[in-house]
Amino acid sequence: MGRFSWHRADPHTLAGAYALDALDAADRARFERHLSGCLACSQEARGLREATALLAETAVAQPPDGLRDRVLAAAARTRPAPPATSPARPAWPGRRWGMAIACGVLAIALAFSGIAYSTQHQLHQMQARSHAIAAVLNAPDATMMTVRASSGPGRATIVMSHQARSLVFTSARLPVLDAAHRYELWLMGRSGPRPAGMLPAGRGGMTPPVIVTGLRDGDQVAVTIEPASGSRQPTTPMILMAALPA
Amino acid sequence: MTDDPSWRAGDLGHGQAGPAAADLAALLTQVGRGSDAAFAAVYTRVSGHVFGIARSVLRDPAQAEEVTQEVLLEVWRDAARFDAARGSAMAWVVTLAHRRAVDRVRSEQATAAREQRVARPDISYDVVTEAVQTRLDAERVRRCLGSLTPLQQQAISLAYYRGCTYREVAALLDVPVGTVKTRMRDGLIRLRDCLGVE
Repeated sequence: MGRFSWHRADPHTLAGAYALDALDAADRARFERHLSGCLACSQEARGLREATALLAETAVAQPPDGLRDRVLAAAARTRPAPPATSPARPAWPGRRWGMAIACGVLAIALAFSGIAYSTQHQLHQMQARSHAIAAVLNAPDATMMTVRASSGPGRATIVMSHQARSLVFTSARLPVLDAAHRYELWLMGRSGPRPAGMLPAGRGGMTPPVIVTGLRDGDQVAVTIEPASGSRQPTTPMILMAALPA
Repeated sequence: MTDDPSWRAGDLGHGQAGPAAADLAALLTQVGRGSDAAFAAVYTRVSGHVFGIARSVLRDPAQAEEVTQEVLLEVWRDAARFDAARGSAMAWVVTLAHRRAVDRVRSEQATAAREQRVARPDISYDVVTEAVQTRLDAERVRRCLGSLTPLQQQAISLAYYRGCTYREVAALLDVPVGTVKTRMRDGLIRLRDCLGVE
């Protein structure tokens, strides 16, 4: 991250990403240095921040019972800080990226998958898929989970939306298969397993995201190793299985 | 577009009169002087916003609750440092909340917590009753979001409601990073003007 030379470009263009907290730590530090020397920029940043903060209005939700008492009790044990003598900025810890965040995992997987597409038609298909993935991620009820394979280092990341009756599945570090075999995805429901697609060949240890639609209540997601042409029923043991949140 | 939550639950627990109705900036000034009554009123005013945005980014009520507690304690500790000349009180609080949630979603600590949680299949994910405190504000924001181009909307929603960086948004939407940066900025400018923010 942070390897392109944005400082050569107009730094103003980062004002939106800055207001949205969509910069990584290095870009953020550089942009703030720029802000401190540019009055017009800091005025714009303030206005965009106010607009951004209003986005929270659509997310307002009732906090759990009991939280109020816990917060008030914790405050009673905490000493307030004195007023700042110089303008205080909230610290921005320079932590490294986690791998299992929905956005990061899917973005990386898509970036890898992009290498395989070249024709205009394929590009168009890929963009349509990107937007379908974004739609699941942006669904108000999107839930993310990470599931470990029953053995080995493999894991899957699933983002699902009940409203969209869809999920996005991506995996990392599943063992590489020979050319005659592929991983197949299943929805395990009350009426038995339904094939949900073949996982594309992995790149860089990750498989590109697969969209699964038509989820039913009580479905579980499972993965088996099948002949490359796919099977109608699982023919080998599950190597990964996940109950979807109700 | 379904990029912003469209909960329509009734007004629950936020409509208290008295101190809660007072100006948030004035309440913060009192909190800065150590008033726990003012802090309780601040909690009533902002906790739904803080919890809501944390849950939107983290997709996990338990972690959202932890973040809410951290943010409220930060408000208690640092209220004296709030500077009205640098922005509104609600923006100050919501910004703290969003940053903390984003920071957590990008940390590996969250990975471990989520994996543990997957082992408990009975967890209820979205059972919290939604309450829209300022329904008019929420409607206004939705309307203004709806006036943006689809790319502006998706870029802003993925970043704000899901905590994606602009590079991640670019990869997800399969558009150049420069385009995403530009759309985030011109989208927010349009949003700002539509909302009548200075």
